[in-house]
Amino acid sequence: MQYLLFLIKGSLEDFRRNKGRTILTSLGILIGVSSVVLLMSFGLGLKKYIENQFESLGTNLVRIVPGRILSGGGFRSGPGAFGGIRFDEKDVASLKRIKEAEYIIPVFTKTITASSGKNSNIADLYASSADIFLGINLKTKYGAAFTKDDVEKRSKVAVVGPKIAAKLYDQEVKALDKIIKVQDQSFRIIGVLEAKGGGFGGPDLDSFVYLPYKTAFSLNPDKKFMVIIAKARTKVDLEVFRNDIKKQLLKRYKEDDFSVIQQAELLSAISSIFSIINTVLVAIAAISLLVGGIGIMNIMYVTVTERIKEIGIRRAIGATRKDILFQFLAEAVFLSLIGGLLGLTVSFLIVLLVQRVFPAYINLQTVAIALGVSSLIGIIFGVFPAKKAADLSPIEAIRYE
Amino acid sequence: MIKLSNVFKEYKLDGEIFAAVKNINLSINKGEFIAILGPSGSGKSTLMHLIGLLDNPTRGTICVEGKDVSKLSDSQLSLLRNEFVGFVFQQFNLINKLTVLENILLPTIYSKQKFSASPEERAFSLMERFGIKEKATSYPNKLSGGQQQRVAITRALINNPKVILADEPTGNLDTKTGDKILTLLTELNREDKITVILVTHEADVAVRAKRKIQIRDGEIVKS
Ligand SMILES: Nc1ncnc2c1ncn2[C@@H]1O[C@H](COP(=O)(O)OP(=O)(O)OP(=O)(O)O)[C@@H](O)[C@H]1O
Ligand SMILES: [Mg+2]
Repeated sequence: MQYLLFLIKGSLEDFRRNKGRTILTSLGILIGVSSVVLLMSFGLGLKKYIENQFESLGTNLVRIVPGRILSGGGFRSGPGAFGGIRFDEKDVASLKRIKEAEYIIPVFTKTITASSGKNSNIADLYASSADIFLGINLKTKYGAAFTKDDVEKRSKVAVVGPKIAAKLYDQEVKALDKIIKVQDQSFRIIGVLEAKGGGFGGPDLDSFVYLPYKTAFSLNPDKKFMVIIAKARTKVDLEVFRNDIKKQLLKRYKEDDFSVIQQAELLSAISSIFSIINTVLVAIAAISLLVGGIGIMNIMYVTVTERIKEIGIRRAIGATRKDILFQFLAEAVFLSLIGGLLGLTVSFLIVLLVQRVFPAYINLQTVAIALGVSSLIGIIFGVFPAKKAADLSPIEAIRYE
Repeated sequence: MIKLSNVFKEYKLDGEIFAAVKNINLSINKGEFIAILGPSGSGKSTLMHLIGLLDNPTRGTICVEGKDVSKLSDSQLSLLRNEFVGFVFQQFNLINKLTVLENILLPTIYSKQKFSASPEERAFSLMERFGIKEKATSYPNKLSGGQQQRVAITRALINNPKVILADEPTGNLDTKTGDKILTLLTELNREDKITVILVTHEADVAVRAKRKIQIRDGEIVKS
């Protein structure tokens, strides 16, 4: 312990004496560590973002939309984009007969003007069944969601997203039990949802006004739906589920009239591509760590040469080969660790800034990797100079001028 | 205590073998005060480094307390240098970036010996004895030559060695200061019963020694 303290103290004093050199050498490691850490934190952020999107899409879900599309787009797109047909309650009833189906959720959306009486705002109406809240993981923060009963009885109730609640009623909590006017029809707000985030190109679920779909028939006189969300029972193969849905709908429509899309699958493919790209980028960034390591090796060789006399003196008064080896190895590791710590600090600051626009974050594992890797770099690139120091013959070292 | 038998130290110079030290047979006993005398280049320092286990012979054997040192590992040799011998050099060989106290304590860091007093206590009592206590926190290059040599002697003594090896300890000092250092070494031999081996090329320095070894061209000519 005393010995370790002595090693640390010795190294730190040498750094103090050679401040400029120490800083320049650790700069290499600093750059390497911060680029690796930043890329890792961006990768983590991306993963988190995609996971959030997953959640807002729900798992085990497929969406049935009119028209023919090849891949998933925003499900908010109006019927015009997809062509002729719109679904109705008959389709919902027929899809409910599929035995793998857990929920069949009809969705009607419309851009509306929502008003609290005092404030009014353009918002999106999202009319659906009570299953929508479970289906796409919407949770209420205040009050409660509407129920099957509300749907059947066409109760004049609404659930609102937190953003629109705050806009119209100043505070989310104040929206509860207030009357919201949608196109001059009044609904009582019975629930305010938890924030979901998202909104990068995807739907901004936090700004929606949710109504029981039967209640909303007053705003949807044709009783048509833009989207039907179908949730499969757990452990059902989604591909099988999709085919069953297609079969069911083909009884009534033509092949090109509708599409059954699976956005979750698409997202998971995107997510794995991004994680591969991220790994490659981290690996490339790791090369700069190697360069930093070579810088350390270089400076350690210089240090050893400068201190041959000191090594000789230490050997003469009883330092073993190992003592000398550890002394210089410790110095290389500290040099590298200083760079690593500074690199982490820089990354923390950058991540803090970036977090305003992107959910990048540094986890404990990243910190551990950064510190572990910088120690390892110190050991790998310090061991050769340290060995050179240890292998000096005591007598030649002490006679060195 | 230390026994050299048929010891050679040879260097290859331009393809020729040059023996800095030849056929040395020497027994050093506990408590002796020995002077090694000889002209410059005669091999005195080489011999001292061999005795102090800083260097190893190319031929012959060196035994310390009955053990053949060529059979010892690096850590065993280092331990002997640390605890058994103490070096005092002509150029002092202090580490200038460490304070006087840190220099003196350096051998204790590499030591596993247990003393009743802490290393700092021992250092201060030795510094007091040699009149350098006030300089504990100074750096060696700020001291006079005599003070530096006393620091070096303190460092040599900190682990209670059995032998002090002093290679021209007065070579860089004026006569008066040199005399004080020699008196100090004599005291250590007489009062502390430490074996002192003093290397010098001046006959008047050697008068303090009970036993004189003359060396010329690497060979003992008179002992
Ligand atoms: N590493 C070496 N390589 C070759 N020759 C050496 C080496 N070390 C010492 N010598 C030679 O060995 C001889 C003895 O050197 P040494 O230093 O022991 O002499 P010395 O008696 O201590 O001299 P001085 O009184 O000047 O200090 C010298 O001729 C020197 O040149
Ligand atoms: Mg000499």
